[in-house]
Amino acid sequence: MTRLPAARAETTEAFLMQSGPELAALCTECGACFNACPMVDYVDLRGADPKIVTSGLRRLASGEAAPEETVAWVGACTKSGQCVDACPQKAVGLDAMLLVRIAKQRAMNETRQLPATQDPSYFPRIKTFARLQLSDEELEKWL
Amino acid sequence: MAVSDNRVTFWFGCNMLRHAEMIRLSIMLLERTGYDVSAAGGPAYCCGTSHDHQPHGASNMAGRTVSRFNEAATKDGRGTVVTWCPSCHMHMSDIMAPGNRVAFDISHISELLVASIDRLAPLLTVPVPRRVLLHRHLGFSTHVPINDRVTGVLSRIPGLELIEGPAHPGHMCSGLATVPGALKAVISETWSAAITNRADTVCTIFHPCHREIAALDGRDNIRVRNWVQLVAEAMGIEASDAYVGWRNGGAPDIAAIERAEPARYQALIEPELRKEPPLSAASAGPIMG
Repeated sequence: MTRLPAARAETTEAFLMQSGPELAALCTECGACFNACPMVDYVDLRGADPKIVTSGLRRLASGEAAPEETVAWVGACTKSGQCVDACPQKAVGLDAMLLVRIAKQRAMNETRQLPATQDPSYFPRIKTFARLQLSDEELEKWL
Repeated sequence: MAVSDNRVTFWFGCNMLRHAEMIRLSIMLLERTGYDVSAAGGPAYCCGTSHDHQPHGASNMAGRTVSRFNEAATKDGRGTVVTWCPSCHMHMSDIMAPGNRVAFDISHISELLVASIDRLAPLLTVPVPRRVLLHRHLGFSTHVPINDRVTGVLSRIPGLELIEGPAHPGHMCSGLATVPGALKAVISETWSAAITNRADTVCTIFHPCHREIAALDGRDNIRVRNWVQLVAEAMGIEASDAYVGWRNGGAPDIAAIERAEPARYQALIEPELRKEPPLSAASAGPIMG
């Protein structure tokens, strides 16, 4: 059972806006999160300087443009979560995976360094799968 | 209405609607272990995580979903939301709750079943003589020790031999699809491990992994099953899998396609069901050296 945290903002959008700079302020740019990330090998970044990448991570999470290595790294985040325990600042409240996630969002929506991937058929496809399989009662109750 | 420990909302997420049987089995497992279940999911209960590129819209979706669960807690006594999807679970914990007032707690279905194992285990009476390789990911363990929890349930099935497969990056296969080469590498590694370990079944934990691996069902005499299907088998319950059948040359019956509208079926469903398997026959063999 997970007891959920108390609200810190009125909306998730507001929470993410305030959390990016807050988490970035806790980051020391040590590079431990980058070194622990298994996706680094898949995007051929193992030779990149972890301090430069994580310096860019801080900037990106605050809405500033970042080096391309940082953008490539956050773009490849698949939520493996290995960064969370690797982060020496975890004890003071730095959730490294959330920081990366916020940086990825900002790279899409603010610095425009990542393409905003949108699949307009996402929900229509799901609804069609539902109609293929669910009874009227299930459709009524579940959706 | 006062919140009751056994009244829960089962939040199955969006993409589980490809796998209606798994939704029904999950509800049945929860009910047989003593929970009063109300199920919810699909686009109307979207967490918003798939809309990171639209922060305002995603925020509205998250707020709407939280408010529906708040209402289920306050008016229907359902103070626990039972999750299936790790994306939904993490999004609720990390982003939705800090951005909305919530009147409920969350628990992953695997946690609830392990917590109720004294009630579940006596129901697992039918031997399931399979040698099963568990397809695992590293992610989500930050929130729920999922691999241990699923292993904890499967290990109670009589006759089932469990092999822990390699732990792959990501929290489930769908995220890997956006990184060139990653999904194919991961599925190849799982399949090779199954062959090397002489497994006859690859067991998925989450629906996107099931969706990706489904097309390999039967190859190398290895079946693809989800963990709730194996639990159901051990309870003597038939656990059919329409999606696996469709992905391997079958098709929904005409009446179902009519109901879903043929044009939509052809445009939205057929391309997914007929796409190439994630591994060519040659690449599915064991890794040598």
